[in-house]
Amino acid sequence: MRNFLLTSLGLLLVICVQLRAQERRVTGVVTSTTDGSVLPGVSVIVKGTNTGTQTDLNGSYAITATPQQTLVFSFVGMKTTEIVVGNQTVINLTLADEADVLSEVVVVGYGQQSKKLSTQTISTLSSKSIKDWPVLSPQQLLQGQAAGVQMVTSSGLLGSNPSIRIRGAASITAGGQPLFVIDGVPLNDGELTGAQGGGTALNPLMNINPNDIESMSVLKDAAAVSIYGSRGANGVILINTKKGLVDKKTQINVDMFTGFSKPTNLFPMMNTQQFNGFVSEYRAARGLAPLQLSNDYFDWVNAVVRNGKTNQINLSARGGSKNTSFYIAGTYGKEQGFTIGNELDRLSGRFNLEHKISDRFRFGTNMSMATVDMDRIGAENNTYAPLTSAYLQIPNVLPRDAQGNYVNTGFIQNVLALEELNINKYITRRTTGNVYAELDILKNLTFRTDFGMDINVGDSKYREVNLFTPGGSGSRDIRKDSKWLTTNTLKYFLDKDKHSFDVLLGYSYEVSDYDRIAVGGSGYASDALPNVVSAATPTTTLEERSRWALESQFARANYAYDSKYLLGASMRRDGSSRFGANKRYGIFYAVSGGWVVSEESFLKSSNFINFLKLTASYGTAGNDRIGNFPSLGLYQGGTDADYLAQPGLRPTQVPNPNLTWEETAQLDIGINTTFYKNIFSLSLNYYNKITSNMLLNVPFPFTTGFASAANNVGKMQNRGVDIDFSAKIIQKQDLNLSIGFNAGYLKNEVLELPEASIDADGNRFVTGSSAQRAVVGRTINEFFLVRGNGVNPQTGDFEWLTKAGQPTTTYSANDRVFVGSALPKWTGGLNANLSYKGFDLAVLFSFSYGNKVLIDGLRFTDNIGTAGYNKSIDMLNYWKKEGDQAFVPKLSSSTAPLFNQLSTVQLQNGSFGRLRNINLGYNIPSKWLGEQKILRSARIYALAQNLFLIKDKNFRGPDPEVSANGPSNLIVGESFFALPQAKTFTVGLNIGF
Amino acid sequence: MIKINKKILAVGFALSVLSGCSERLEVLPEQSIATSQAFSSKSNAQASLLGVYSQAQLFDVFGSGPQIIQDFQADNTEFVGTFPTLQDINNYVTTSPNTTIQAHWQVHYRTINGANAVIDNVPGVSDPAFTEAEKAQFVAEAKFMRAILYLSLVNMFAQPYQVSNGSTPGVPLVLKSFTGTVEFPARATVAEVHQQIIKDLTEALPNLPVATTAQSRGRATKGAAAGYLARIYLLRGEFQKAADSANEVINATSLYSVASNFGFYGATPTTEHVFAIVNSATDNGRTGSGGWASYHRPAAQGGRGDCAFSADLERVFALEAGDKRVTELSDLATAADNQRRRMTLKYKDAATNTDLAPMMRTSEMYLTRAEALAELNGVNIESINLVNPIRVRAGLPAWTISTFATKEAFIDAILLERRKELAFEGHRRMDLLRRQKPLRTTGSATILAAAAFGAPKTILPIPQRELDQNKSLTQNTGY
Repeated sequence: MRNFLLTSLGLLLVICVQLRAQERRVTGVVTSTTDGSVLPGVSVIVKGTNTGTQTDLNGSYAITATPQQTLVFSFVGMKTTEIVVGNQTVINLTLADEADVLSEVVVVGYGQQSKKLSTQTISTLSSKSIKDWPVLSPQQLLQGQAAGVQMVTSSGLLGSNPSIRIRGAASITAGGQPLFVIDGVPLNDGELTGAQGGGTALNPLMNINPNDIESMSVLKDAAAVSIYGSRGANGVILINTKKGLVDKKTQINVDMFTGFSKPTNLFPMMNTQQFNGFVSEYRAARGLAPLQLSNDYFDWVNAVVRNGKTNQINLSARGGSKNTSFYIAGTYGKEQGFTIGNELDRLSGRFNLEHKISDRFRFGTNMSMATVDMDRIGAENNTYAPLTSAYLQIPNVLPRDAQGNYVNTGFIQNVLALEELNINKYITRRTTGNVYAELDILKNLTFRTDFGMDINVGDSKYREVNLFTPGGSGSRDIRKDSKWLTTNTLKYFLDKDKHSFDVLLGYSYEVSDYDRIAVGGSGYASDALPNVVSAATPTTTLEERSRWALESQFARANYAYDSKYLLGASMRRDGSSRFGANKRYGIFYAVSGGWVVSEESFLKSSNFINFLKLTASYGTAGNDRIGNFPSLGLYQGGTDADYLAQPGLRPTQVPNPNLTWEETAQLDIGINTTFYKNIFSLSLNYYNKITSNMLLNVPFPFTTGFASAANNVGKMQNRGVDIDFSAKIIQKQDLNLSIGFNAGYLKNEVLELPEASIDADGNRFVTGSSAQRAVVGRTINEFFLVRGNGVNPQTGDFEWLTKAGQPTTTYSANDRVFVGSALPKWTGGLNANLSYKGFDLAVLFSFSYGNKVLIDGLRFTDNIGTAGYNKSIDMLNYWKKEGDQAFVPKLSSSTAPLFNQLSTVQLQNGSFGRLRNINLGYNIPSKWLGEQKILRSARIYALAQNLFLIKDKNFRGPDPEVSANGPSNLIVGESFFALPQAKTFTVGLNIGF
Repeated sequence: MIKINKKILAVGFALSVLSGCSERLEVLPEQSIATSQAFSSKSNAQASLLGVYSQAQLFDVFGSGPQIIQDFQADNTEFVGTFPTLQDINNYVTTSPNTTIQAHWQVHYRTINGANAVIDNVPGVSDPAFTEAEKAQFVAEAKFMRAILYLSLVNMFAQPYQVSNGSTPGVPLVLKSFTGTVEFPARATVAEVHQQIIKDLTEALPNLPVATTAQSRGRATKGAAAGYLARIYLLRGEFQKAADSANEVINATSLYSVASNFGFYGATPTTEHVFAIVNSATDNGRTGSGGWASYHRPAAQGGRGDCAFSADLERVFALEAGDKRVTELSDLATAADNQRRRMTLKYKDAATNTDLAPMMRTSEMYLTRAEALAELNGVNIESINLVNPIRVRAGLPAWTISTFATKEAFIDAILLERRKELAFEGHRRMDLLRRQKPLRTTGSATILAAAAFGAPKTILPIPQRELDQNKSLTQNTGY
């Protein structure tokens, strides 16, 4: 063995020396045959080696090779061309559009595949389609870009957590967010800070810098996700970051942009005159004593809204020698939200490196570090939320007294003072990455070991000054989620005659530790003392720890015959510490097949159809997101159990040793085609996902002493169609136009639920909020409300409909009926890309259709009786005389106090279309840059986001795109007063050296 | 080929070495212990008992939630806040999905389950250090807690005993701790619930300690059990029993007295307190923005400023000028509706929420016995002597036997005194209902009709969620 190694080493050295002697540098420019334009990003590889590079923005490349070697030029949508180096040192070539457009490679779980031969259903997003976007985190890039991916930006709050669903919510109680995997490391996505109003959690992925992303793959069908086993049921999003370049002059890139933002829409409220008049008339009409109402006026909404600012600079260096390639990048961004007090600074760095020790042995690392420093504000249902409070603040209340000092304005607090005086900070620091080594044991057998980690620390600091809490109060809360994992895989491939075969075997173990330390205190001698150490009375001291672990074995095999007949199979066995001792291990699998019809002789000569593939897959994946210890019966101590300064215990959880993951089985049938001179591409996928053994917090009668217990019960189905269509309408020398359309149709149905909650009609359901529920035979997010029927023009009373549909002025909970679902039937996007000479224009439009949203804040702004907060100006339209077609009942009506109760009055049509992005850029022609040799490329661009919104003309509320409960599956499409989306305008400059 | 196989074997070996360690997946929680451990020793059993009190501190139990909403329904407090679920209760237009009411129901039963677990499990704890007397005391304390929790529930969710002599639906009686089998109990009648409360208190009383230290008044004592018996007898109109039970407290003069001034409102129980839930800055029932001082103090002091003196309460206080319960125990402050309003000073600490929950004061026992004796004996000097210390403390002239011409006038005067003395402590609604009086005497015709004795919305709806879960339950009329 030792001899063999020594001999090999010796041989290797000889070969290396020999190679060195004959190597030469080859350079050239790659252009397109169709329009003569230069092609950046063309992959240039020395055949049979791992040496390779890419063409830069001017289409040029440089690579080292021997005369005997062959260079392989490949590019998406172009015919791969091979050229023997020979004596040439300059190889310029043109690449032709390829008949087999789908020669590109797709990133799949634990590897990559030829898109043409893949039987998995995956949507891919490349760095090209997301360039220049001033977004904060990777999820946002997916909106309107991938069929079947529903992304709802929960609010215009900086760093808010969007809700993202791939092919619908596959679960009721367990989480609905997909698994994010960055360079092979599954990310922690627990929340590391408390919500400040509603479920408006912060985005757990905000430290992941979108600038570093090379590609994102959305894994959708079972063939794609089952390799992620117990965590794959919600879909998986694989993010690969940018890699270095082999044997290539270092490319320095500087990108900077600056811009401003404004709210897309604000909700009109009464001024003092209107408010005082309304309150006085109301009280007079009902015989109540008049109130002392000041005539002062302050426009609170205007005072909390400002022009937001956004600035970012991104620097990167990318290059490498023959054996070592690197990508190093750093970003600093500063964003100021359009409401006071909301700011976010981000500093992040990335270092990706790969080094070849020999032709057979490589190692590398992908590391990122990021700090996000936020000035937080309350949001949604929170009187400390600037915009919520500004809406509700009585307009005759002034923020300052006669001496100019801030005043405490009461329950609806003085948000101007709050934002200026209080401290509300959140800092998160995250290190994510891996180190790996790969050994080609044989030419076609590779072993890879990968050690990954994700350490995310969230640090919240809050300090409230004496003005709001006598003596002041403060807290500090540090939470850490640190994960490490080891992944070991063995890959084998074989191409022989017409048979092509590849196999993956793997093992992984990961463990995640959660730690939290928090302190709080009250009673500060001075507002100038910001830290808890200065507090007289400690109110919180808390330490928490918890851990979970996952151990897995997995395998995948693919077989293709003659590039025509495709078969795939995968399997994963997961053991999770989260589940009951009796049900700890689970096996997930998928099988898939494909038929490349266009390879058959009867289609091969077709002039119309260029490519046609049919695929089908079936398999399973699971969901384990139900906390770390859901199976145990528990008693808890702490401050909820202590009394009289003595420790106590209280029961908190019912045991269930049989608890295990829920399983989603999915069938996917797809057709993938390119036709008419490769101009049109279409993929259509039908899917049917059935989740069974659902992890459900089965509600108990409260008389048991428990609200619910986790159990595996119930069944739910998500069926739908994903459509992706694109067309290269114009392909000329100087002019290119392409359009794309994607849409997902989704039909969700709850098939079975336990016999726990049953409504008056015998429907089984699970409660989401007081307005919506999951109902058997209907969707998971069915609104169940009493129907408001408007003001009776004759009587001036507001009327509701009884269950039977009769108008009534009194109603009960028994009159509630199903009034629509919060789930859209269709979501998707439309994009167009136009380029003319150096100019390019990209437009993205996204839409959601067929859903209802509930704006809960209207219950406050439509409150007729209270003088405690301001009202919507719609309230001025109240019934005064017979025949009035009024919105609001007569002020003396017995229905007036009921008018703002929860009903369809707050329910709105949630369909919308939004012009998400317009991006105009200009690449300064290389001939202008040619002489000075300093600049390699230069691009200027301007971008506008959320320019306009199409919504129902009767929509009342700030924005139809809401999700106050963030990632919740059970409560969707509800908002108190979400911050509307920001309208953003940026201009930027990108320079390459 | 052989070499290759060796390598593959080596890698395969490496893979298998790394796999199959199931201990790695044995992860236990660090913040909780298993149910079986909760009653494994005296100290654990005591912790589980204290856990019951701790739950009772919560906003939804005795942390002001139930007491405040009952005050809103009655005529002492004007609700000037903004929260819709509270506003609906105040306006008698609430519906069964009301989440505030649902939470009160939920946390009451959660606390009852904790008490049931103590009653069920403590006798079986095998710990040599745990004496039978201690076990009996722990069980007695848990029964006391269960009794007062059911009293709180039946008062909120059922018509008073005076409607059909308690034959109307009360609340479900759950007397065993939950061990896994879900049961769907129907509502017991008001009379049955009352009988259970009386049974628990009577059984508990002999095994309870007497109040000694200030802290001991924060747990169940003989005096507290007697006091609650007096309260429930009074609610039932069983005046002799009420008078007798109250006397057990009143006669224990070394333990209980009517304080000479209002200094007892605060964080530490005194002889004025028969029973109180004790709070501290680190351990209290405030939830979000709800809590005793939070509701009764203005925003400038860290509260919500939701509760103001009603015009009617101001009117009755104005009948006798100089009442210290106005001059010393209230102030004018900017309430939630931005109006200057009179608010009570019985709960001062909205910053750290240390105020006691005023469960039962000696003064209440005096007033209870005074009222019961007046019912039994008409105008009598013992009743007058019981009320006078309370009047004198308030700076009002003492009564004499000649102050009252008739029994009715006498009883009305005692009730008025009771109204003023116990205002904002959660008593008013039941004091009106047990006397078959309307909850409001001012307001629109709609309000007056809704507040009439026996009217459907003078009691709360059974939470809709509970009806959805438990088909044995019936809803209250009118919901």
